[in-house]
Amino acid sequence: MTQSLALLGTEAASSSEGPAPGTRSFWRRLRAQKAAMAAGSVIALLVLTALAAPLLTALAGQDPNAYHPEAVDSAAGGVPLGSFGGIGAEHWLGVEPGTGRDLFARIVYGARVSLGVALFATLVQLAIGITLGLAAALGGRWTDQIVSRFTDVNVALPLMVLALALLAIVPQSVPRPVLIALVMGLVGWSGVSKLVRAQALALKHADHVEAARLSGWSTWRIARRELLPSLAAPIITYAALMVPSNISVEAALSFLGVGIKPPTPSWGQMITEADTWYQTAPTYLLIPAGLLFVTVLSLTVFGEGVRLALDPRARTRVLRAGKGSAA
Amino acid sequence: MSRISRMSVISRRVAGASVSLALAAGLAACAGPDSADSSGGSGAGGKPQKGGTLTVLNSNPQDDFDPARLYTSGGGNVPSLVFRTLTTRNREDGAAGAQVVPDLATDLGKPNKDATVWTYTLKEGLKYEDGSPITSADIKYGIERSFAAELSGGAPYLRDWLIGGDKYQGPYKDKGGLDSIETPDERTIVFKLNKPEGEFPYLATQTQFAPVPKAKDTGTKYEEHPVSSGPYKVVKNENDGEHLVLERNEHWDPKTDEERKAYPDKIDVRSGLDSAVINQRLQAGQGADAAAVTTDTNLGPAELAKVSGDDALAKRVGTGHFGYTNYLAFNPKVKPFDDLKVRQAVSYAVDRTSVINAAGGSSLAEPATTFLPPQKSFGYTKYDHFPAGANGDAAKAKALLKEAGYEDGLKITLTHSTDKDFETSPEIATALQDALQKAGFKVELQGLESNDYSDKTHSVKTAPGLFLGHWGADWPSGGPFLAPIFDGRQIVKEGSGNYNHAQLNDAAVNKEIDEINKLTDLDAAAARWGALDKKIGEQALSVPLFHPVYKRLFGKDIKNVVISDWTGVLDISQVAVK
Amino acid sequence: MTGFLLRRIAGALFVLFALSIVVYAIFYVAPGDVARIACGPRCSTAQVDQVREQLRLGDPVYVQYWHFLQGIVAGRDYSTGTALAHCDAPCLGFSYQTDQQVTQLILAKLPVTASLVFGAFVLWIVIGVGTGVLSVWRRGRLSERVLTWLTLTGTATPVFVIGLLLIIVFCSTLAWLPFPQYVPFTEDPEQWMWNLLLPWFALALLESAKYARLTRSSMLETLADDHVRTFRAFGVSEGAILRRHALRGAVAPVIALSALDFGTMFGGAVLTESLFGIPGLARELVEAVKVVDLPVVVGLVMVIGFFVVLANTVADVLYAVADRRVVLA
Repeated sequence: MTQSLALLGTEAASSSEGPAPGTRSFWRRLRAQKAAMAAGSVIALLVLTALAAPLLTALAGQDPNAYHPEAVDSAAGGVPLGSFGGIGAEHWLGVEPGTGRDLFARIVYGARVSLGVALFATLVQLAIGITLGLAAALGGRWTDQIVSRFTDVNVALPLMVLALALLAIVPQSVPRPVLIALVMGLVGWSGVSKLVRAQALALKHADHVEAARLSGWSTWRIARRELLPSLAAPIITYAALMVPSNISVEAALSFLGVGIKPPTPSWGQMITEADTWYQTAPTYLLIPAGLLFVTVLSLTVFGEGVRLALDPRARTRVLRAGKGSAA
Repeated sequence: MSRISRMSVISRRVAGASVSLALAAGLAACAGPDSADSSGGSGAGGKPQKGGTLTVLNSNPQDDFDPARLYTSGGGNVPSLVFRTLTTRNREDGAAGAQVVPDLATDLGKPNKDATVWTYTLKEGLKYEDGSPITSADIKYGIERSFAAELSGGAPYLRDWLIGGDKYQGPYKDKGGLDSIETPDERTIVFKLNKPEGEFPYLATQTQFAPVPKAKDTGTKYEEHPVSSGPYKVVKNENDGEHLVLERNEHWDPKTDEERKAYPDKIDVRSGLDSAVINQRLQAGQGADAAAVTTDTNLGPAELAKVSGDDALAKRVGTGHFGYTNYLAFNPKVKPFDDLKVRQAVSYAVDRTSVINAAGGSSLAEPATTFLPPQKSFGYTKYDHFPAGANGDAAKAKALLKEAGYEDGLKITLTHSTDKDFETSPEIATALQDALQKAGFKVELQGLESNDYSDKTHSVKTAPGLFLGHWGADWPSGGPFLAPIFDGRQIVKEGSGNYNHAQLNDAAVNKEIDEINKLTDLDAAAARWGALDKKIGEQALSVPLFHPVYKRLFGKDIKNVVISDWTGVLDISQVAVK
Repeated sequence: MTGFLLRRIAGALFVLFALSIVVYAIFYVAPGDVARIACGPRCSTAQVDQVREQLRLGDPVYVQYWHFLQGIVAGRDYSTGTALAHCDAPCLGFSYQTDQQVTQLILAKLPVTASLVFGAFVLWIVIGVGTGVLSVWRRGRLSERVLTWLTLTGTATPVFVIGLLLIIVFCSTLAWLPFPQYVPFTEDPEQWMWNLLLPWFALALLESAKYARLTRSSMLETLADDHVRTFRAFGVSEGAILRRHALRGAVAPVIALSALDFGTMFGGAVLTESLFGIPGLARELVEAVKVVDLPVVVGLVMVIGFFVVLANTVADVLYAVADRRVVLA
């Protein structure tokens, strides 16, 4: 699903359209968009939930990893007892088939992992992508060739192969969420890199950049002082769309056996395990899938809002795709 | 178990790549996708008739269809339609199906006094699909080629039992042949063993005992069109075993074969399918799927939940028991598991109800307190040395830990794989973690990628102290169940082929194994295996967790469903579609 | 242009070369003893060693790699036990696990994946662009929001969930379609289509949201242009503006993105191929990785890489055509 990364890159207002908008006007424009504000509050709520996971589960009187064999019908494959997957006063969202673990507690703790990993992975992708993208754009023809081909190699190397390599190389003692975020980061940066390269190339010959070059600034200084500020808008917009697709990739990774270490729950893992239960315990699938959908939707809408607020005249452009890992 | 584990690798990769939640246990069993027989349900009413096409919907492609490479229990399911062997399994329901009966041979073999020489005579009038006669030399050649490195994969017994078997490298390198197999005439074959083996007739059911005409051998390409000695021949083999079409072998004479019924005219094997899709198709039973079965896909927990709510579907479920045990393995060379009291504490602490729920619930797994499966042919002797009850005895476990000097709890690591096989997989490990923590252990889980898991747990140098293990029957007897795990002479010091996880090398145990192997009275042997299992159990070297139960759907037009205790799944050679 | 093409061909060769080295390096450190897996876990150490020797795994990794390169250029001979078989150049070696020639294996799987990707491609363009155009036409109204939501649902739902639901609804409950099983086009074109319909839809639903949004934003961008305002002022109808001007603006980016997706999908549709039992490249790759079947993995990665690079080149050209500010590099 990383392909959705390719969704839209935005082309920054080119130099002739003046400097990036100020912080204050940004907030004003963002606040003016009702949908984006609603989406923003949903995201805030999700983040709060994730942060307050121990508190919330204590309130519910449940532990995400405690087994409740009495809550499932063992002879019938472990289907939850009671209607709607065992939803009731004790288990607010019902229980997991087979184990009887409390779904509310697992959902809440799962939010921590899913959101945390997705955010961290996005940061890794941004770090690699921006560095390589700038290097390609500013470093001369050979650097550009090498970086671009390196990007091709990365896009062409299937996720599975790369994940296997990292699993083998990285020692067990590295926390799993970090490892997973690293895998995702090392896989999904090509979109950012291509975005940054294209933007930087377009800006390279802008008057203010040329002027800086003529006055003898170093390449690094030009990148930092002249290019990055103009690149901020498209990068932030793009990043807002990377987070949701990273959540989906985490689900795909748990499929390939490099997911979060059990018993820690994650939404992706819950969905992959729930898929055959849609007929007999639909809530088991619908709750995490629904939450994932709401999260992706909110982030997308919010990202769109940020984009418009950053640069109301932003123009959308197609960019190179990342790799399709969850198809 | 090589083919077995290879099957389990395949089943895992299928399960991992797809959304399958079906129990992979059945595939991981020695049986493999090909093995199988059945019993249990009865299928549609009416007398079975010849004719029609049987469709087989499978997860795992038959990517090895060479009798030398197959690792089966009792000759496999689909392979058994094409390959006849010296002996075979009795195609009957339940316990009767766990008996070995003659196939190409006239009897179960004539042993010499100490069971080191076995002589077989072939039936008269046996023919290949091209009408040429089957000779004892072809059976010798078939066995010899299973020693070639190009065709590896079969069970280890021929290598370990035949004189010179450990050195022989197969007919491609070693033109002289294996001297310990003699063929004094076209119908007689004699096997010379390096030690007494009363269970040789069981071994002779494996596909390595199928005849291969030397002139038709094409080495690694033989699997594309193996020469049939059974009721069907291969007419199509697409995509390395993903699509097989079998049609009647006109030269197969039913008078020489009491076991295979061969009702359908044609058998269409489709594999590489997702297990959820297989079960959906069998449920819906549209078109050709009405006359369909699967030989490798069990009902998963979710599917079972659906099926048990539907009477019409429930009638189309075959239930079987394959000799198989899932257990917690200790490596006493790793502290603190050198301490018997710690091992006992773990034994008391396990919550078998939680584990069984994690493995699919009480319909798909039965609690195990013995290492041997609960079947007569294994010599099952009931015991429960460390009674944990249904939910574990945390108090008793705590007391034992205190005695062992760990009053403040004990930190241990439980190693599992990252597969989704419901055997060594995370959900089983977390169920155990939960129970052990209630008993005062602090349990760290270590999940390893499947190849890594297999390498590490089967090597004496790297085996962790506590991990999830499983063992399936190469044939329904205590011998192949206990000897590889507890015979001290089977410890493999180099590489990763060691199954004696506790590295037990107990002179008394070794001696008893040798004594039982001398018996040619299989019932007497079974009783002794049972007693030995009980004795070994006292040392708490493993914690038996559960024995899987196989539940599989079959199409609505399927008749004559036979499920033996040998393989636990429906026997494809008995099925009729009319 | 010629210079550009030459550079890209050189670049593509470099990428393929680099990919093969990366895969060899990864498998050098990855867990799993190839000889043991090929032989079976109950092989004796001596047997495993024989298999290792037969597969030439005892050679240093650079020697193995050299044989691999030689095979591509000059072909290789290998033993089936009873005879010596030849694998013609470009020979990608033969599977450690099934002894099949990798080239033949890929040639068998390629049309399968191509069938899947091609059909899905057509569908996602139709659904995606169609939805995008509709949402521009109905912009600001309820139906636009419904459409946006529908496509977003497609993107936010994992493909195995969509796929399984499609199977349940159309094959099981309604029984309108057969349970998918791959039928080659050459065998029966009609069955080929019916059996691939669901997998096509599953993939297309996943992809189409992206195209809907791309189409929509490209069209809106054009509509905001000054010349469109001029057209409006001259009384050109809204429908004509959408058709003649706005949609045209969306064509280039849609084609460029499609080319990329088309390429990556050759190796990217793992879950779809598995769920629907389609014996394609991606599923084969996952299975080969799990049993450490290096020759198969290298071969597949290179073929998939070839399609990605090809698609990238096509996308670059189209992108440059669409936006003249971008320099072909």
